Amino acid sequence: MGRWKNGILITYLVAIVFPFIFLFLLSMSSGWRFPDLLPEYFGFKNWGKVAGTESGIAQSFLISLVISLSVAVSSTLCGFVISRYVSYHPKKRLLTLLTYFPYILAPVVFGACLSYYFLKMGIFGTTFGVVLAQFIIAFPYALIFFSSFWNEKIKSYEDLVATLGGGSLTTFRKVLLPMARGLLMVCFFQTFLISWFEYGLTSIIGVGKVQTLTIKVFLFIKESNFYYGAMSCCMLIIPPVVMIYINKKYVFNKLI
Amino acid sequence: MFLEVHDIEKSYNKEAIVSELNINLEKHKTLSILGRSGCGKTTMLKMIAGLTPIDQGVIKLDGVRVDEIEASKRNIVYLYQEDLLFPHLSVFENIAFGLRIKKIKDHIVDDRVIEMIENLELQGHGSKMPHQISGGQRQRVAFGRAIITNPALLLLDEPFGSLDAGTRKNMQTLFLRLAKTFNITSLFVTHDLKEAILMGDEIAYMDKGKLKIYKDRSSFINDPETGVLAETEFWKQLKTEQF
Amino acid sequence: MVPFAAAFGYSLLYSFGIIGVVNDGFTLEFWAEVFRSGAFLDALIYSVTIALISVFISVTAALWFTLKFQKKLRGKIVSFMIYLPLAIPGIVAAFFTVQILSKSGLFSRFSYLLGFTSGITDFPDLINDQYAIGIILVLISVVMPFFVLLFLNVYDNERLDQLTELARSLGASNSQTIWRVSLPVILRKTWTLIALYFIFLLGAYEVPLILGQESPQMLSVLIVRELKQFDLTKISEGYVVAVMYTILVSIATILLFSKRSTENG
Repeated sequence: MGRWKNGILITYLVAIVFPFIFLFLLSMSSGWRFPDLLPEYFGFKNWGKVAGTESGIAQSFLISLVISLSVAVSSTLCGFVISRYVSYHPKKRLLTLLTYFPYILAPVVFGACLSYYFLKMGIFGTTFGVVLAQFIIAFPYALIFFSSFWNEKIKSYEDLVATLGGGSLTTFRKVLLPMARGLLMVCFFQTFLISWFEYGLTSIIGVGKVQTLTIKVFLFIKESNFYYGAMSCCMLIIPPVVMIYINKKYVFNKLI
Repeated sequence: MFLEVHDIEKSYNKEAIVSELNINLEKHKTLSILGRSGCGKTTMLKMIAGLTPIDQGVIKLDGVRVDEIEASKRNIVYLYQEDLLFPHLSVFENIAFGLRIKKIKDHIVDDRVIEMIENLELQGHGSKMPHQISGGQRQRVAFGRAIITNPALLLLDEPFGSLDAGTRKNMQTLFLRLAKTFNITSLFVTHDLKEAILMGDEIAYMDKGKLKIYKDRSSFINDPETGVLAETEFWKQLKTEQF
Repeated sequence: MVPFAAAFGYSLLYSFGIIGVVNDGFTLEFWAEVFRSGAFLDALIYSVTIALISVFISVTAALWFTLKFQKKLRGKIVSFMIYLPLAIPGIVAAFFTVQILSKSGLFSRFSYLLGFTSGITDFPDLINDQYAIGIILVLISVVMPFFVLLFLNVYDNERLDQLTELARSLGASNSQTIWRVSLPVILRKTWTLIALYFIFLLGAYEVPLILGQESPQMLSVLIVRELKQFDLTKISEGYVVAVMYTILVSIATILLFSKRSTENG
């Protein structure tokens, strides 16, 4: 292996790590004027204000967390139960194809076209509205995700439980859910991330009233408040990094 | 008769899978059914278990019609060729499963599972997980899990199909013993000629959705369709060639 | 699916002027206007070009990277590090790129201090630029790490190391092994996903929103801008673009998955 190849590998790895370090350093800075390489101030001043009303970052973190957890729980559970129905349906292929449409469309366009209905339902600009909107895109993902789980073997397990005297509730609680535990976890974290990273749809349905972290980042860019922006970025990155550390499968999953 | 099946018909897309199916079986007896793959035997068993709806016909168990009762209430257990142990439960809990969902008291469950584990010759494996035991052991657990619920009827679909010859022989002996100990009534489907003769109190042959039950062993052996004659002829031939 | 149909139906009606505050009845005027102005076509060509370039570079680089370094990427720390890019959402990548590549960004400062440029204005436009360099860079940086992981995954699942050994023992040279075994195996397994990513990038929103320029714009940005306009007559035109985009993506989906299922079946 030539030395230049090692160089490229190292460059790649540095390029991966650099944004993390840079964003963290930027979040500790202020007064970083052109053309200085170093900022005037460096320390924990910004982070001291993370919970304050001026930045509102901690608050956004909580809102994002509540929204993403709600979306992840609801879409994973609904996806699991309903994908069973879809997979055993005689028109399985058509139904699966239909689930791809909302999944493949840009969420922001989808949201823009749906906003009329949200307005009519009176949930425009509410946290619930944002949860519902994100559910609409995370749910098809969960449906597709679980479609591979339901096969002949699982059907046999279901039949077996039936002949042993178990009803469908028992089957779900004692057999299907425990057997799918690993998959449920992966789907939970994947849908969590879909919601956690979502910007366009949230900005349209939330109309600036529901300030998730991604919305915050955008606002700080517009205000040219890069130090707070970097701080929001750090808060956005931390949960997925922790997830990668716990289990890489939670973050990387090749669908289909 | 304990199990009575009258004129069951089943077809998919107008193609008959099972036709004119009639079975009469006494209590505590095993009917072994010989059939090649695709002869309709799995469909037949699934219909009796209530997992596949029947087009027409009547199934009676101990004089009671069961064909309109759902699978979970028929008290008929269907056993697959694959052992289908629950991967998230230990050997002990797999066997206990049927009792647990009937909400039987813990200490009774414990006693009966321990007894069953002894009968299955699986002492010392109770706390293991399914992936830690061998194929033959797994199949035994699957048996125990089915038998412990005291099913009125046991349906076995090629239960030893995936086992190697040696294990298969042990399992046949074990099953015969269990059938006696627990007074089991069962239908035993196999594609193995010898197994069909060994396991059944009565023998039947299934081909293209039609089931033919023989009144005794010799009429089964003497029917050219079953292939017993061809088999004996083969061995005879081989013997004469050698000398 | 119901929301999808609802959204599509509403947009369709709006685009024909059947509903909408200032609209009065069926008209083809908005459709005609969109085609006359060429706004849709411009945005489409712009989006397709950007998505195509980004996917192409990402896939090529990721393939090269996987095949060259697949052994080195297995170390404990390295294998953790190559997952890290997945923790960075598009909006953070865009934010970071602004900090690095803008006229007052980090690179501009370096080049000033090293004497390459003499001030802010000297530094070339790398973001909000005419050639969408910023957008493409960010899209690549988001997509390529994913493909590296994907290809590594396929490499393992398809037992490519054994296949390449086999090919060698049959007398194939290094490059023959790559071109005739490794690449076809990997691409056969992943082309649907690659196509899917192309469609995703076609609808990219926050990255071009932050790093793009006034005109032309990528499809999502254009649609949202038109729909949120104060000029109410423009809204119908926005829906025209939305409808066309939806139809386009739907057709692509159907083609993609009907082809795939015939291959599998």
